[in-house]
Amino acid sequence: MVSYSALILILVAVAVLTLLGVDSAVFGQETTQRYLSARIEIWALFYRLMVVAFVIGAVVMGTMTYVVWRFRESHPKNRADITPAAGGAHH
Amino acid sequence: MVLEVRKPRPLWEILFSTHHTDIGLLYIIFSITLFFLGGALAISIRTELFLPGAQLFDDSNTFHRVFTVHGTTMLFLWVIPFAAGIGNYLIPIMVRYKDMAWPKLNAVAFWMLPVGAALVWLGFADTGWTAYPPYSILRAPGPAAEMWIFGLKILGISSILGAINFVVTILRMKHPDLPMMKLPLFTWAILSTSLILLMSMPTFTAALIMLYTDRLGVSGFFNPAMGGDPIAYQHLFWFTFHPEVYVFVIPAIGVIYEIIPKFSRKPIFSYTSGITAFILLTIVSFASWAHHMFATGMSFSEKTVFMIGTLAAVPASAMHIFNWIATMWGGRIRFRAPIAFVVGGIILFFLAGAGGVVNSAMPLDFLTHDSYWVVGHMHLFLMGIITFAFVGFIFYLFPLITGRMYNERAAMVQFWLMFIGVSLVFITQHLLGLYGMPRRVFDYVPVEPLITMNQISTVGAYILLVAMGIFLFNLIKSAGWGKPANMEDPFGIQEKYYDYRRREPHH
Repeated sequence: MVSYSALILILVAVAVLTLLGVDSAVFGQETTQRYLSARIEIWALFYRLMVVAFVIGAVVMGTMTYVVWRFRESHPKNRADITPAAGGAHH
Repeated sequence: MVLEVRKPRPLWEILFSTHHTDIGLLYIIFSITLFFLGGALAISIRTELFLPGAQLFDDSNTFHRVFTVHGTTMLFLWVIPFAAGIGNYLIPIMVRYKDMAWPKLNAVAFWMLPVGAALVWLGFADTGWTAYPPYSILRAPGPAAEMWIFGLKILGISSILGAINFVVTILRMKHPDLPMMKLPLFTWAILSTSLILLMSMPTFTAALIMLYTDRLGVSGFFNPAMGGDPIAYQHLFWFTFHPEVYVFVIPAIGVIYEIIPKFSRKPIFSYTSGITAFILLTIVSFASWAHHMFATGMSFSEKTVFMIGTLAAVPASAMHIFNWIATMWGGRIRFRAPIAFVVGGIILFFLAGAGGVVNSAMPLDFLTHDSYWVVGHMHLFLMGIITFAFVGFIFYLFPLITGRMYNERAAMVQFWLMFIGVSLVFITQHLLGLYGMPRRVFDYVPVEPLITMNQISTVGAYILLVAMGIFLFNLIKSAGWGKPANMEDPFGIQEKYYDYRRREPHH
Protein backbone atom coordinates (compact mmCIF):
# COMPACT_ATOMS: atom_id res chain seq x y z
CA MET A 1 0.00 0.00 0.00
CA VAL A 2 2.77 2.37 0.88
CA SER A 3 4.20 4.07 -2.16
CA TYR A 4 7.88 4.15 -1.35
CA SER A 5 8.79 5.51 -4.79
CA ALA A 6 6.68 8.61 -4.13
CA LEU A 7 8.38 9.11 -0.78
CA ILE A 8 11.82 8.80 -2.39
CA LEU A 9 10.79 11.35 -5.06
CA ILE A 10 9.85 13.83 -2.35
CA LEU A 11 13.17 13.25 -0.59
CA VAL A 12 15.09 13.88 -3.81
CA ALA A 13 13.13 17.11 -4.43
CA VAL A 14 13.87 18.31 -0.89
CA ALA A 15 17.58 17.47 -1.29
CA VAL A 16 17.82 19.37 -4.60
CA LEU A 17 16.13 22.43 -3.14
CA THR A 18 18.43 22.31 -0.12
CA LEU A 19 21.45 22.25 -2.43
CA LEU A 20 20.02 25.27 -4.29
CA GLY A 21 19.91 27.05 -0.95
CA VAL A 22 23.54 26.19 -0.24
CA ASP A 23 24.44 27.55 -3.68
CA SER A 24 22.70 30.83 -2.85
CA ALA A 25 24.62 31.14 0.40
CA VAL A 26 27.94 30.63 -1.42
CA PHE A 27 27.01 33.24 -4.02
CA GLY A 28 26.35 35.76 -1.24
CA GLN A 29 29.93 35.46 0.00
CA GLU A 30 31.69 35.85 -3.34
CA THR A 31 34.34 38.53 -3.41
CA THR A 32 34.24 40.77 -6.45
CA GLN A 33 36.03 43.85 -7.55
CA ARG A 34 32.87 45.68 -8.52
CA TYR A 35 31.01 48.08 -6.24
CA LEU A 36 28.94 46.06 -3.81
CA SER A 37 26.02 47.42 -1.85
CA ALA A 38 25.93 45.28 1.30
CA ARG A 39 22.36 46.28 1.99
CA ILE A 40 21.12 45.13 -1.42
CA GLU A 41 23.22 41.94 -1.30
CA ILE A 42 21.98 40.90 2.12
CA TRP A 43 18.33 41.48 1.27
CA ALA A 44 18.81 39.63 -2.02
CA LEU A 45 20.28 36.72 -0.08
CA PHE A 46 17.41 36.90 2.37
CA TYR A 47 14.80 36.73 -0.38
CA ARG A 48 16.61 33.88 -2.13
CA LEU A 49 16.74 31.84 1.07
CA MET A 50 13.12 32.61 1.80
CA VAL A 51 12.13 31.42 -1.68
CA VAL A 52 13.99 28.16 -1.04
CA ALA A 53 12.40 27.84 2.42
CA PHE A 54 8.91 28.47 1.08
CA VAL A 55 9.35 26.06 -1.83
CA ILE A 56 10.42 23.30 0.57
CA GLY A 57 7.55 24.36 2.83
CA ALA A 58 5.10 24.09 -0.03
CA VAL A 59 6.36 20.58 -0.83
CA VAL A 60 6.13 19.40 2.80
CA MET A 61 2.79 21.05 3.49
CA GLY A 62 1.41 19.95 0.15
CA THR A 63 2.42 16.38 0.99
CA MET A 64 0.85 16.76 4.41
CA THR A 65 -2.38 18.06 2.92
CA TYR A 66 -2.43 15.23 0.37
CA VAL A 67 -1.84 12.61 3.09
CA VAL A 68 -4.58 14.06 5.25
CA TRP A 69 -7.01 14.15 2.31
CA ARG A 70 -6.14 10.82 0.72
CA PHE A 71 -5.71 8.63 3.77
CA ARG A 72 -8.59 9.93 5.86
CA GLU A 73 -10.97 7.26 7.00
CA SER A 74 -13.86 8.68 4.98
CA HIS A 75 -12.01 8.65 1.62
CA PRO A 76 -13.89 6.43 -0.88
CA LYS A 77 -10.81 4.24 -1.43
CA ASN A 78 -10.26 3.84 2.29
CA ARG A 79 -13.57 2.55 3.53
CA ALA A 80 -12.80 -1.15 3.55
CA ASP A 81 -12.08 -2.60 6.96
CA ILE A 82 -8.45 -3.15 7.82
CA THR A 83 -6.95 -5.16 10.57
CA PRO A 84 -5.08 -3.06 13.14
CA ALA A 85 -1.35 -3.54 12.92
CA ALA A 86 -0.04 -6.13 15.32
CA GLY A 87 1.91 -4.66 18.16
CA GLY A 88 0.85 -1.13 17.15
CA ALA A 89 3.93 1.08 17.17
CA HIS A 90 5.92 -0.83 19.76
CA HIS A 91 3.37 -0.17 22.49
CA MET B 1 -5.68 4.80 39.67
CA VAL B 2 -6.70 6.98 36.80
CA LEU B 3 -10.39 7.76 37.02
CA GLU B 4 -9.69 10.83 39.09
CA VAL B 5 -12.92 12.73 38.53
CA ARG B 6 -15.43 9.99 37.85
CA LYS B 7 -14.83 8.47 41.26
CA PRO B 8 -13.97 11.56 43.24
CA ARG B 9 -11.74 11.32 46.26
CA PRO B 10 -11.27 13.90 48.99
CA LEU B 11 -9.15 16.79 47.73
CA TRP B 12 -6.64 16.40 50.56
CA GLU B 13 -5.99 12.82 49.49
CA ILE B 14 -4.84 14.02 46.05
CA LEU B 15 -2.95 17.05 47.41
CA PHE B 16 -0.94 15.00 49.91
CA SER B 17 -0.49 11.99 47.67
CA THR B 18 2.86 10.86 46.32
CA HIS B 19 1.31 8.55 43.73
CA HIS B 20 2.46 9.28 40.21
CA THR B 21 -1.01 9.78 38.72
CA ASP B 22 -1.97 12.20 41.49
CA ILE B 23 1.23 14.17 41.07
CA GLY B 24 0.72 14.03 37.30
CA LEU B 25 -2.82 15.34 37.70
CA LEU B 26 -1.60 18.19 39.92
CA TYR B 27 1.11 19.08 37.39
CA ILE B 28 -1.43 19.09 34.55
CA ILE B 29 -4.05 21.19 36.39
CA PHE B 30 -1.37 23.60 37.63
CA SER B 31 0.18 24.05 34.18
CA ILE B 32 -3.16 24.54 32.40
CA THR B 33 -4.17 27.14 35.02
CA LEU B 34 -0.93 29.06 34.51
CA PHE B 35 -1.36 28.73 30.72
CA PHE B 36 -4.65 30.62 30.99
CA LEU B 37 -3.12 33.25 33.31
CA GLY B 38 -0.12 33.76 31.00
CA GLY B 39 -2.56 33.94 28.07
CA ALA B 40 -4.48 36.72 29.82
CA LEU B 41 -1.25 38.72 30.01
CA ALA B 42 -0.66 38.07 26.28
CA ILE B 43 -4.09 39.50 25.48
CA SER B 44 -3.25 42.64 27.46
CA ILE B 45 0.04 42.98 25.53
CA ARG B 46 -1.72 42.69 22.19
CA THR B 47 -4.45 45.12 23.29
CA GLU B 48 -1.77 47.66 24.21
CA LEU B 49 -0.20 47.32 20.76
CA PHE B 50 -3.47 47.56 18.83
CA LEU B 51 -2.72 51.25 18.27
CA PRO B 52 0.42 53.34 18.76
CA GLY B 53 0.65 55.27 22.02
CA ALA B 54 -0.52 54.29 25.50
CA GLN B 55 -3.71 52.22 25.32
CA LEU B 56 -4.01 49.96 28.34
CA PHE B 57 -0.96 50.69 30.47
CA ASP B 58 0.08 54.07 31.81
CA ASP B 59 3.78 53.62 31.26
CA SER B 60 6.29 51.40 29.53
CA ASN B 61 7.57 50.02 32.84
CA THR B 62 4.26 48.30 33.57
CA PHE B 63 4.33 46.91 30.03
CA HIS B 64 7.82 45.49 30.67
CA ARG B 65 6.58 43.81 33.83
CA VAL B 66 3.66 42.26 31.98
CA PHE B 67 5.72 40.74 29.16
CA THR B 68 8.35 39.52 31.64
CA VAL B 69 5.81 37.59 33.69
CA HIS B 70 4.02 36.42 30.52
CA GLY B 71 7.23 34.91 29.12
CA THR B 72 8.36 33.40 32.40
CA THR B 73 4.92 31.88 32.99
CA MET B 74 4.51 30.35 29.57
CA LEU B 75 7.98 28.80 29.50
CA PHE B 76 8.51 27.69 33.10
CA LEU B 77 4.98 27.28 34.40
CA TRP B 78 3.11 25.95 31.37
CA VAL B 79 5.37 24.06 28.95
CA ILE B 80 7.82 22.38 31.37
CA PRO B 81 5.28 21.46 34.10
CA PHE B 82 2.83 20.10 31.53
CA ALA B 83 5.52 17.85 30.05
CA ALA B 84 6.41 16.73 33.59
CA GLY B 85 2.72 16.06 34.26
CA ILE B 86 2.12 13.80 31.28
CA GLY B 87 5.47 12.14 31.97
CA ASN B 88 4.38 11.42 35.53
CA TYR B 89 1.12 9.98 34.32
CA LEU B 90 2.51 7.74 31.62
CA ILE B 91 6.16 6.87 32.24
CA PRO B 92 5.54 4.37 35.10
CA ILE B 93 2.79 2.77 32.99
CA MET B 94 5.05 2.58 29.95
CA VAL B 95 8.04 1.13 31.81
CA ARG B 96 5.74 -1.17 33.84
CA TYR B 97 6.72 0.02 37.28
CA LYS B 98 4.40 0.77 40.17
CA ASP B 99 5.36 4.44 40.51
CA MET B 100 8.22 6.87 39.89
CA ALA B 101 11.54 5.79 41.38
CA TRP B 102 11.31 8.27 44.27
CA PRO B 103 7.66 9.19 44.91
CA LYS B 104 8.35 11.61 47.75
CA LEU B 105 11.01 13.44 45.75
CA ASN B 106 8.45 13.61 42.96
CA ALA B 107 5.95 15.31 45.25
CA VAL B 108 8.63 17.72 46.51
CA ALA B 109 9.51 18.62 42.89
CA PHE B 110 5.86 19.43 42.18
CA TRP B 111 5.25 21.45 45.36
CA MET B 112 8.24 23.67 44.60
CA LEU B 113 6.34 24.93 41.55
CA PRO B 114 3.60 26.91 43.33
CA VAL B 115 6.28 28.54 45.50
CA GLY B 116 8.33 29.56 42.45
CA ALA B 117 5.18 30.71 40.64
CA ALA B 118 4.12 32.81 43.65
CA LEU B 119 7.51 34.54 43.73
CA VAL B 120 7.37 35.32 40.01
CA TRP B 121 3.76 36.55 40.07
CA LEU B 122 3.91 38.49 43.33
CA GLY B 123 7.18 40.18 42.35
CA PHE B 124 6.16 41.03 38.76
CA ALA B 125 9.72 41.88 37.70
CA ASP B 126 10.49 44.00 34.62
CA THR B 127 13.76 42.42 33.49
CA GLY B 128 12.41 40.43 30.53
CA TRP B 129 12.49 36.64 30.79
CA THR B 130 16.20 36.72 29.95
CA ALA B 131 17.14 39.18 32.75
CA TYR B 132 20.17 40.44 30.85
CA PRO B 133 22.71 42.51 32.80
CA PRO B 134 23.63 45.31 33.17
CA TYR B 135 19.95 46.37 33.54
CA SER B 136 19.04 43.42 35.74
CA ILE B 137 21.92 44.03 38.15
CA LEU B 138 22.03 47.85 38.19
CA ARG B 139 18.60 49.34 37.55
CA ALA B 140 15.89 46.69 37.80
CA PRO B 141 13.71 47.59 40.79
CA GLY B 142 13.77 45.29 43.82
CA PRO B 143 12.44 43.27 45.45
CA ALA B 144 10.73 42.21 42.21
CA ALA B 145 14.01 41.24 40.53
CA GLU B 146 15.18 39.32 43.61
CA MET B 147 11.83 37.50 43.76
CA TRP B 148 12.18 36.60 40.07
CA ILE B 149 15.72 35.29 40.67
CA PHE B 150 14.64 33.15 43.64
CA GLY B 151 11.49 32.03 41.83
CA LEU B 152 13.54 30.84 38.85
CA LYS B 153 16.02 29.22 41.21
CA ILE B 154 13.25 27.17 42.82
CA LEU B 155 11.74 26.26 39.45
CA GLY B 156 15.18 25.19 38.20
CA ILE B 157 15.77 22.94 41.22
CA SER B 158 12.30 21.46 40.75
CA SER B 159 13.13 20.66 37.11
CA ILE B 160 16.43 19.02 38.12
CA LEU B 161 14.72 16.84 40.77
CA GLY B 162 12.02 15.84 38.30
CA ALA B 163 14.62 15.03 35.63
CA ILE B 164 16.65 12.83 38.00
CA ASN B 165 13.47 10.93 38.88
CA PHE B 166 12.57 10.37 35.23
CA VAL B 167 16.06 9.19 34.26
CA VAL B 168 16.24 6.71 37.16
CA THR B 169 12.67 5.48 36.60
CA ILE B 170 13.26 4.85 32.90
CA LEU B 171 16.76 3.37 33.10
CA ARG B 172 16.65 1.50 36.42
CA MET B 173 13.01 0.76 37.23
CA LYS B 174 11.72 -0.49 33.90
CA HIS B 175 10.54 -4.06 33.79
CA PRO B 176 13.50 -6.42 33.24
CA ASP B 177 11.68 -8.08 30.34
CA LEU B 178 11.25 -4.75 28.58
CA PRO B 179 14.26 -3.78 26.45
CA MET B 180 15.00 -0.12 25.80
CA MET B 181 14.32 -0.64 22.11
CA LYS B 182 10.75 -1.67 22.87
CA LEU B 183 9.91 1.39 24.93
CA PRO B 184 7.45 3.86 23.35
CA LEU B 185 9.10 6.86 21.70
CA PHE B 186 7.37 9.07 24.26
CA THR B 187 9.59 7.45 26.91
CA TRP B 188 12.67 8.21 24.80
CA ALA B 189 11.46 11.80 24.48
CA ILE B 190 11.16 12.20 28.25
CA LEU B 191 14.56 10.54 28.74
CA SER B 192 16.21 12.93 26.23
CA THR B 193 14.49 15.92 27.82
CA SER B 194 15.59 14.89 31.31
CA LEU B 195 19.21 14.39 30.23
CA ILE B 196 19.28 17.82 28.55
CA LEU B 197 17.82 19.39 31.70
CA LEU B 198 20.39 17.69 33.92
CA MET B 199 23.26 18.89 31.76
CA SER B 200 22.07 22.44 31.09
CA MET B 201 20.17 23.66 34.13
CA PRO B 202 23.07 23.78 36.65
CA THR B 203 24.74 26.46 34.50
CA PHE B 204 21.75 28.75 34.83
CA THR B 205 21.35 28.11 38.55
CA ALA B 206 24.98 29.19 38.95
CA ALA B 207 24.36 32.26 36.75
CA LEU B 208 21.38 33.20 38.94
CA ILE B 209 23.58 33.15 42.06
CA MET B 210 26.10 35.38 40.28
CA LEU B 211 23.28 37.68 39.17
CA TYR B 212 22.03 37.93 42.75
CA THR B 213 25.44 38.66 44.29
CA ASP B 214 26.01 41.24 41.56
CA ARG B 215 22.73 42.91 42.53
CA LEU B 216 23.88 42.93 46.14
CA GLY B 217 27.08 44.65 45.02
CA VAL B 218 29.35 42.04 46.59
CA SER B 219 30.53 40.77 43.22
CA GLY B 220 30.88 42.14 39.72
CA PHE B 221 30.76 39.13 37.44
CA PHE B 222 28.54 40.93 34.95
CA ASN B 223 29.13 44.53 36.03
CA PRO B 224 31.46 46.43 33.63
CA ALA B 225 32.19 49.04 36.33
CA MET B 226 33.75 46.29 38.45
CA GLY B 227 35.61 44.64 35.61
CA GLY B 228 32.84 42.18 34.80
CA ASP B 229 31.34 41.27 31.43
CA PRO B 230 27.59 41.33 30.71
CA ILE B 231 28.20 39.14 27.64
CA ALA B 232 29.43 36.37 29.95
CA TYR B 233 25.89 36.18 31.41
CA GLN B 234 24.48 35.78 27.91
CA HIS B 235 26.78 32.82 27.32
CA LEU B 236 25.76 31.19 30.61
CA PHE B 237 22.10 31.96 29.99
CA TRP B 238 21.97 30.61 26.45
CA PHE B 239 24.09 27.56 27.31
CA THR B 240 21.08 26.59 29.41
CA PHE B 241 18.27 28.05 27.37
CA HIS B 242 19.10 26.99 23.89
CA PRO B 243 19.08 23.33 25.00
CA GLU B 244 15.94 24.31 26.90
CA VAL B 245 14.26 24.95 23.53
CA TYR B 246 14.63 21.21 22.97
CA VAL B 247 13.34 20.57 26.50
CA PHE B 248 10.20 22.36 25.34
CA VAL B 249 9.87 20.72 21.94
CA ILE B 250 11.03 17.11 22.48
CA PRO B 251 8.11 16.15 24.79
CA ALA B 252 5.78 17.60 22.12
CA ILE B 253 7.49 15.39 19.53
CA GLY B 254 7.05 12.41 21.88
CA VAL B 255 3.35 13.24 22.17
CA ILE B 256 3.03 13.32 18.38
CA TYR B 257 4.60 9.85 18.22
CA GLU B 258 1.90 8.67 20.63
CA ILE B 259 -0.98 10.10 18.63
CA ILE B 260 -0.13 9.71 14.92
CA PRO B 261 0.35 5.90 14.75
CA LYS B 262 -2.77 5.24 16.80
CA PHE B 263 -5.11 7.50 14.81
CA SER B 264 -3.50 6.43 11.50
CA ARG B 265 -3.88 2.81 12.66
CA LYS B 266 -0.39 1.94 11.49
CA PRO B 267 2.87 1.24 13.29
CA ILE B 268 5.47 4.01 13.32
CA PHE B 269 7.26 4.12 9.94
CA SER B 270 10.72 3.96 11.49
CA TYR B 271 11.05 3.53 15.25
CA THR B 272 14.85 3.47 15.10
CA SER B 273 15.11 6.73 13.16
CA GLY B 274 12.87 8.35 15.79
CA ILE B 275 15.30 7.32 18.54
CA THR B 276 18.27 8.39 16.41
CA ALA B 277 16.71 11.81 15.86
CA PHE B 278 16.09 12.22 19.61
CA ILE B 279 19.74 11.39 20.36
CA LEU B 280 20.94 13.77 17.63
CA LEU B 281 18.74 16.58 18.94
CA THR B 282 20.02 15.97 22.47
CA ILE B 283 23.62 16.32 21.28
CA VAL B 284 23.23 19.25 18.88
CA SER B 285 21.13 21.17 21.40
CA PHE B 286 24.43 22.00 23.10
CA ALA B 287 26.18 23.09 19.90
CA SER B 288 24.18 26.16 19.04
CA TRP B 289 23.67 28.44 22.04
CA ALA B 290 25.66 31.41 20.71
CA HIS B 291 23.46 31.87 17.65
CA HIS B 292 21.35 34.04 19.98
CA MET B 293 24.38 36.31 20.29
CA PHE B 294 25.58 36.87 16.70
CA ALA B 295 25.09 40.62 17.18
CA THR B 296 27.35 40.85 20.25
CA GLY B 297 30.60 41.17 18.32
CA MET B 298 31.72 37.55 18.05
CA SER B 299 34.44 36.63 15.60
CA PHE B 300 33.59 35.29 12.16
CA SER B 301 34.97 31.84 13.08
CA GLU B 302 32.87 31.60 16.25
CA LYS B 303 29.76 32.62 14.36
CA THR B 304 30.47 30.05 11.64
CA VAL B 305 30.84 27.26 14.22
CA PHE B 306 27.54 28.12 15.88
CA MET B 307 25.76 28.59 12.58
CA ILE B 308 26.76 25.09 11.52
CA GLY B 309 25.92 23.75 14.98
CA THR B 310 22.45 25.26 14.70
CA LEU B 311 21.82 23.94 11.21
CA ALA B 312 22.81 20.48 12.45
CA ALA B 313 19.41 20.32 14.14
CA VAL B 314 17.65 20.51 10.77
CA PRO B 315 18.31 16.91 9.61
CA ALA B 316 17.13 15.49 12.95
CA SER B 317 13.94 17.57 12.86
CA ALA B 318 13.40 16.56 9.24
CA MET B 319 13.73 12.88 10.26
CA HIS B 320 10.85 13.33 12.67
CA ILE B 321 8.66 15.12 10.11
CA PHE B 322 9.41 12.49 7.45
CA ASN B 323 8.62 9.77 9.98
CA TRP B 324 5.23 11.31 10.80
CA ILE B 325 4.24 11.79 7.15
CA ALA B 326 5.39 8.29 6.23
CA THR B 327 3.46 6.86 9.20
CA MET B 328 0.25 8.52 8.03
CA TRP B 329 0.89 7.50 4.40
CA GLY B 330 -1.24 4.48 3.57
CA GLY B 331 -3.03 4.59 6.91
CA ARG B 332 -6.73 4.94 7.63
CA ILE B 333 -6.76 8.15 9.62
CA ARG B 334 -9.66 8.87 11.95
CA PHE B 335 -9.72 12.62 12.37
CA ARG B 336 -10.59 13.27 15.97
CA ALA B 337 -9.40 16.32 17.89
CA PRO B 338 -6.04 14.88 19.07
CA ILE B 339 -4.71 14.17 15.57
CA ALA B 340 -6.21 17.37 14.15
CA PHE B 341 -4.20 19.39 16.67
CA VAL B 342 -1.09 17.36 15.92
CA VAL B 343 -1.33 17.81 12.13
CA GLY B 344 -1.97 21.55 12.58
CA GLY B 345 1.03 21.71 14.90
CA ILE B 346 3.30 20.00 12.36
CA ILE B 347 2.33 22.51 9.66
CA LEU B 348 3.09 25.42 12.01
CA PHE B 349 6.32 23.65 13.07
CA PHE B 350 7.50 23.76 9.50
CA LEU B 351 6.74 27.47 9.15
CA ALA B 352 8.60 28.16 12.40
CA GLY B 353 11.53 26.03 11.23
CA ALA B 354 11.77 27.93 7.92
CA GLY B 355 12.05 31.18 9.86
CA GLY B 356 14.61 29.58 12.15
CA VAL B 357 16.89 28.73 9.23
CA VAL B 358 16.95 32.43 8.35
CA ASN B 359 17.81 33.35 11.95
CA SER B 360 20.61 30.82 12.13
CA ALA B 361 22.32 32.11 8.95
CA MET B 362 24.57 34.70 10.53
CA PRO B 363 24.43 37.41 7.84
CA LEU B 364 20.66 37.24 7.82
CA ASP B 365 20.42 37.21 11.60
CA PHE B 366 21.51 40.84 11.61
CA LEU B 367 18.35 41.73 9.65
CA THR B 368 16.04 40.12 12.16
CA HIS B 369 17.93 40.44 15.44
CA ASP B 370 15.87 41.98 18.27
CA SER B 371 12.98 42.60 15.88
CA TYR B 372 9.42 41.31 15.96
CA TRP B 373 10.56 38.57 13.55
CA VAL B 374 12.19 36.85 16.53
CA VAL B 375 9.02 37.23 18.60
CA GLY B 376 6.97 35.68 15.80
CA HIS B 377 9.51 32.87 15.30
CA MET B 378 9.71 31.72 18.92
CA HIS B 379 5.96 32.03 19.44
CA LEU B 380 5.25 30.01 16.31
CA PHE B 381 7.31 27.22 17.90
CA LEU B 382 5.78 27.55 21.33
CA MET B 383 2.17 28.11 20.28
CA GLY B 384 2.51 26.15 17.07
CA ILE B 385 3.89 22.69 17.53
CA ILE B 386 4.30 22.62 21.32
CA THR B 387 0.96 24.01 22.48
CA PHE B 388 -0.94 22.37 19.62
CA ALA B 389 0.56 18.97 20.46
CA PHE B 390 -0.08 19.46 24.19
CA VAL B 391 -3.69 20.56 23.68
CA GLY B 392 -4.21 17.55 21.40
CA PHE B 393 -2.75 15.32 24.09
CA ILE B 394 -5.02 16.85 26.75
CA PHE B 395 -7.94 15.65 24.65
CA TYR B 396 -6.27 12.27 24.15
CA LEU B 397 -5.72 11.81 27.90
CA PHE B 398 -9.12 13.22 28.82
CA PRO B 399 -10.91 9.83 29.03
CA LEU B 400 -7.99 8.35 30.99
CA ILE B 401 -8.07 11.14 33.57
CA THR B 402 -11.79 11.77 33.87
CA GLY B 403 -13.47 8.62 32.56
CA ARG B 404 -15.58 10.89 30.34
CA MET B 405 -15.41 12.16 26.76
CA TYR B 406 -14.91 15.77 25.82
CA ASN B 407 -17.21 17.50 23.32
CA GLU B 408 -15.71 16.66 19.92
CA ARG B 409 -17.46 19.44 18.00
CA ALA B 410 -16.31 22.11 20.46
CA ALA B 411 -12.77 20.73 20.28
CA MET B 412 -12.74 20.92 16.47
CA VAL B 413 -14.12 24.50 16.52
CA GLN B 414 -11.36 25.32 19.00
CA PHE B 415 -8.79 23.75 16.67
CA TRP B 416 -9.78 25.84 13.66
CA LEU B 417 -9.96 29.05 15.71
CA MET B 418 -6.53 28.30 17.20
CA PHE B 419 -5.01 27.52 13.81
CA ILE B 420 -6.34 30.73 12.25
CA GLY B 421 -5.52 32.78 15.37
CA VAL B 422 -1.94 31.53 15.72
CA SER B 423 -1.26 32.08 12.00
CA LEU B 424 -2.64 35.62 12.12
CA VAL B 425 -0.77 36.61 15.26
CA PHE B 426 2.65 35.15 14.63
CA ILE B 427 3.10 35.10 10.84
CA THR B 428 2.16 38.79 10.86
CA GLN B 429 4.76 39.39 13.55
CA HIS B 430 7.46 38.04 11.19
CA LEU B 431 6.44 40.74 8.69
CA LEU B 432 6.39 43.38 11.43
CA GLY B 433 10.01 42.49 12.14
CA LEU B 434 10.95 42.91 8.49
CA TYR B 435 9.32 46.35 8.56
CA GLY B 436 11.69 47.20 11.41
CA MET B 437 9.50 46.99 14.49
CA PRO B 438 11.76 46.21 17.48
CA ARG B 439 10.67 43.68 20.10
CA ARG B 440 9.64 44.57 23.67
CA VAL B 441 8.35 48.02 22.79
CA PHE B 442 5.40 49.72 24.46
CA ASP B 443 4.84 52.16 21.57
CA TYR B 444 5.71 52.25 17.88
CA VAL B 445 6.03 54.68 15.00
CA PRO B 446 2.51 55.54 13.78
CA VAL B 447 2.95 54.54 10.14
CA GLU B 448 0.44 52.61 8.08
CA PRO B 449 2.12 49.18 7.72
CA LEU B 450 2.98 48.91 11.41
CA ILE B 451 -0.50 49.95 12.57
CA THR B 452 -2.29 47.59 10.15
CA MET B 453 -0.11 44.59 10.94
CA ASN B 454 -0.29 45.16 14.69
CA GLN B 455 -4.07 45.29 14.37
CA ILE B 456 -4.15 42.04 12.38
CA SER B 457 -1.95 40.46 15.05
CA THR B 458 -4.24 41.69 17.83
CA VAL B 459 -7.37 40.43 16.06
CA GLY B 460 -5.64 37.03 15.83
CA ALA B 461 -5.01 37.18 19.57
CA TYR B 462 -8.72 37.80 20.22
CA ILE B 463 -9.58 34.81 18.04
CA LEU B 464 -7.23 32.79 20.25
CA LEU B 465 -9.04 34.19 23.29
CA VAL B 466 -12.35 32.84 21.96
CA ALA B 467 -10.68 29.46 21.28
CA MET B 468 -9.33 29.35 24.83
CA GLY B 469 -12.77 30.21 26.22
CA ILE B 470 -14.24 27.24 24.33
CA PHE B 471 -11.35 25.05 25.57
CA LEU B 472 -11.92 25.98 29.22
CA PHE B 473 -15.67 25.50 28.96
CA ASN B 474 -15.21 22.14 27.23
CA LEU B 475 -12.76 20.92 29.89
CA ILE B 476 -14.92 21.92 32.85
CA LYS B 477 -18.27 20.83 31.41
CA SER B 478 -17.02 17.54 29.98
CA ALA B 479 -15.09 16.63 33.15
CA GLY B 480 -18.25 16.99 35.21
CA TRP B 481 -21.06 16.08 32.85
CA GLY B 482 -19.47 14.56 29.73
CA LYS B 483 -20.59 11.28 28.19
CA PRO B 484 -18.95 8.30 29.97
CA ALA B 485 -16.08 7.05 27.81
CA ASN B 486 -15.64 3.53 26.50
CA MET B 487 -12.43 2.96 28.41
CA GLU B 488 -11.25 0.07 26.24
CA ASP B 489 -11.22 2.20 23.08
CA PRO B 490 -12.52 5.73 23.75
CA PHE B 491 -11.78 7.03 20.23
CA GLY B 492 -13.11 4.00 18.33
CA ILE B 493 -9.82 3.41 16.53
CA GLN B 494 -9.36 -0.27 17.45
CA GLU B 495 -6.02 0.55 19.05
CA LYS B 496 -4.94 -0.24 22.58
CA TYR B 497 -5.56 2.62 25.01
CA TYR B 498 -3.64 3.09 28.24
CA ASP B 499 -4.31 0.54 30.95
CA TYR B 500 -6.90 2.36 33.03
CA ARG B 501 -7.60 -0.65 35.26
CA ARG B 502 -4.17 -0.80 36.84
CA ARG B 503 -4.73 0.26 40.42
CA GLU B 504 -1.94 0.71 42.86
CA PRO B 505 -2.38 1.65 46.50
CA HIS B 506 -2.03 5.37 47.04
CA HIS B 507 0.86 6.27 49.27
